[in-house]
Amino acid sequence: MPPVGPPDAVRFPPVARRRLENGLAVWTITDAALPVVSAAVMVPVGSAQDPVERPGLISLTGDMLDEGAGGRDAIELAEALAGLGSRLAIDITPDVTAISIGAVGRRFADTLGLLADIVTKPHFQAADFERVRDLRLNRLKQLTQSVSTVADRAFATAVFGDHPYGHGTMGTTRSLQAMTLDEARAAWERVYRPSTAILVVVGGVTDDEVMQAVKASALDRWEGFSTPDADPGFTEKTPDLVLKTPVIMLVNRPAAPQSELRVGHLGPPRRTPDYHALVTLNAVLGGQFTSRLNRNLRETRGITYGVRTAFDMQRSAGSFICDTSVQADATAVAVREILSECRAIREPGAVTADELALAQDSLTRGYVRHFETASQFTRALVEIATHDLALDTFDRFVPEVTAVGPEDLARVGAALRPDACAVVVVGDAAASRPSLEALGLPVVDADPEF
Amino acid sequence: MVPYTRATLANGLTVIVHESHRVPLVAVNVWYHVGSRHETAGLTGLAHLFEHLMFEGAQHQPRGYFEPLQRAGASVNGSTSPDRTNYWETVPSSALRLALWMEADRMGWMAPALTDARFRTQRDVVTNERRESYENRPYGRASFALLRALFPEGHPYRWPTIGSVEDLARATLDDARAFLARFYQPGNASLVVAGDVTPEAVLPQIEELFGHIPGSPPAPPMRVPAPTPRRSRTWLEDRVQLPRLYLAWPSPAIFAAGDAELDLAGDLLGNGRTSRLYRRLIHDRRVATEVAASQASRYLGSFFQVVATAAPGTSLATLEAAIGEEIARLASDGPDETEMARGRAQAESAFVYRVQSLGGFGGIADQLNTYYYHRREPDWFDADLARYTAVSRQGIQEAVATWLDPARAAALSVVPAGSRDLALADSVQAADDL
Repeated sequence: MPPVGPPDAVRFPPVARRRLENGLAVWTITDAALPVVSAAVMVPVGSAQDPVERPGLISLTGDMLDEGAGGRDAIELAEALAGLGSRLAIDITPDVTAISIGAVGRRFADTLGLLADIVTKPHFQAADFERVRDLRLNRLKQLTQSVSTVADRAFATAVFGDHPYGHGTMGTTRSLQAMTLDEARAAWERVYRPSTAILVVVGGVTDDEVMQAVKASALDRWEGFSTPDADPGFTEKTPDLVLKTPVIMLVNRPAAPQSELRVGHLGPPRRTPDYHALVTLNAVLGGQFTSRLNRNLRETRGITYGVRTAFDMQRSAGSFICDTSVQADATAVAVREILSECRAIREPGAVTADELALAQDSLTRGYVRHFETASQFTRALVEIATHDLALDTFDRFVPEVTAVGPEDLARVGAALRPDACAVVVVGDAAASRPSLEALGLPVVDADPEF
Repeated sequence: MVPYTRATLANGLTVIVHESHRVPLVAVNVWYHVGSRHETAGLTGLAHLFEHLMFEGAQHQPRGYFEPLQRAGASVNGSTSPDRTNYWETVPSSALRLALWMEADRMGWMAPALTDARFRTQRDVVTNERRESYENRPYGRASFALLRALFPEGHPYRWPTIGSVEDLARATLDDARAFLARFYQPGNASLVVAGDVTPEAVLPQIEELFGHIPGSPPAPPMRVPAPTPRRSRTWLEDRVQLPRLYLAWPSPAIFAAGDAELDLAGDLLGNGRTSRLYRRLIHDRRVATEVAASQASRYLGSFFQVVATAAPGTSLATLEAAIGEEIARLASDGPDETEMARGRAQAESAFVYRVQSLGGFGGIADQLNTYYYHRREPDWFDADLARYTAVSRQGIQEAVATWLDPARAAALSVVPAGSRDLALADSVQAADDL
């Protein structure tokens, strides 16, 4: 078998950082070889900032931005973007809202002008609000039949409880029905501010060209609203450990041919010093095709199309999650094997030298693949901003992962808590219950709110 | 637009090399010119099942395909469509030889590694893929019903690529061996290498690694009569909350006259907020929650479909009538100048977005193979874009009038379990073996 070379060093490109008088930070990466310019305005507020009684408010507020802004209605905005051949996306995560665009170089300034209007001059018209809310209510209704969404909702609640990460970004039917246009506008006024937002731009534009386009746009004249609150910022609340012992939560889906599974528990935030060791451990356990769990459930038993694990790291906390869908008659076997693999890998010396090397080689040699397109660089900058990471974060990845040793894996193995985890099963309850109960864990019925 | 060097080995393997040194990566992309349309009735799903087996190992890589490539930092995947099967790995430049060696091994030495145990396990995996991606997913079986309504008995697009449950259960290791012998050989494949590489360096390596694999001429082209559009109305119950209407018609093959026109017609009828059906059904009248229209371009002949999900309280008949009116209006008046200008702007930038990634599904390497397979010309980017910029208002109008007759649509209603009364009137139940 032909040998391969050492990992390529990743040198994240220089980032020009400026600040407008209104406080808006502008970060630019210039690379003339990139065919597309990508940009995003990141607002440090996500669904974790939803008021307790209004889950979904931040997400709906984000959705309202392109329903009319800067004198154009929803259709006219879409027409203007399409006429430039440009693209717009609005993404709401638990931590941040990111409004992003893609454009060919000569359309960048005009597209940025539309992005600026969308962020700073949304109309918040009643008719648009009603329509968007209706669409969301219908979407929620549809999602009650999506096994992966049902499982995700049940899992988030089981792991985070009342913590702001414990609810779905879209909120619930109850909350959406109670929501008003004034609440959405007030949320926008409260959280969309130049002083806390960041504009990132990546592509074949110089930092001077970016500043020129910004100065010609509404971003330069963005004042924001002053409210009695201090600047809203990220949610910085550490969640309590909800589960102290494992529990199986069964969501009934009669006659389902498969059971959708989520197994996991609370985990560390992105800024954990154990980041690289955890990523390496996860690669061995379930983070890649040749991981222990995928070999077991897919390649040996054939009971699933695939299984993955991840440490999903947010700003103030995270979760460890195993995600799969298995044939109905193998539900209990799959749960047993997942828990057993999580237990086994915590044992001292459990990870063989070859497994560790495979995980490290895969992560380090493959790292350069994550830095090819403009939108990949934009996402990287948003990640830095979201978690307050150092600018050399990506340069350090390869040496840090290379330095992970068996003692590090043994140490971070404690982050896996098979004896205090939530097991969500969305499947035929009557068929699965006896074998799940035979595992010796409590089985409770669950029905996540939509 | 995407320069390349082409070579054909003595065994018939077509090799295409695109040089680009922007990032230290190389995309390796192999197409076998076989898809589910080459299957025989009774053995549907075999092409895709065989794709799974290709990752399980060949004679000189007994531990499987993933491990050595993951160790090299590769991203690896493959897919099967009705028309072709592709395999790709995006690797750091220093792992190029390994990637080529692995592809050569499974192109030439798969047979000794095919075991009954591997076959049975992957058949189980594929059966689970079918459950996860279709049977247990809202509206997941709709495409199965629609293909049967569009394509007659004997047409190879009548069955889905994932195959039927019965056929998967019936398939044997011998069927896989026969499939391998018939379709997996250099004369029926094309290899693209794109990225941080020079033709001078890589072509001799390819000759060395692939040149001695025995090849034969490609399978002769298939001749299948085009289906006739015919009115049909079927319904299907599913675990869904809102009824959804599918309207579909057979349409011109990929790159044939009318294909680009209908692609643009799909955009202006149902793609995004600027589209006519979005404005009417979702924005203005709020009778639908989702709408989409698209030309699904294929080798033997395509199909065009419009999909709309009803808002609570709206009947599928209301949606059918509104869609029929919009199609009739497009067939009689054609698009306006704003719509034409927007279509051109979007096509021009779409071709720029398409050349951002070397590898992966739809990356530069995959597109070179797409054009080679269909046009025998890998760098058909400019010609393809010209198809779109040359489309006229009248061209769209005529294509819609010719191909999308509302009175001859295949109409499928997918309704919540127990609510067959929500289907279009006069519909018959879809076959129960989907």
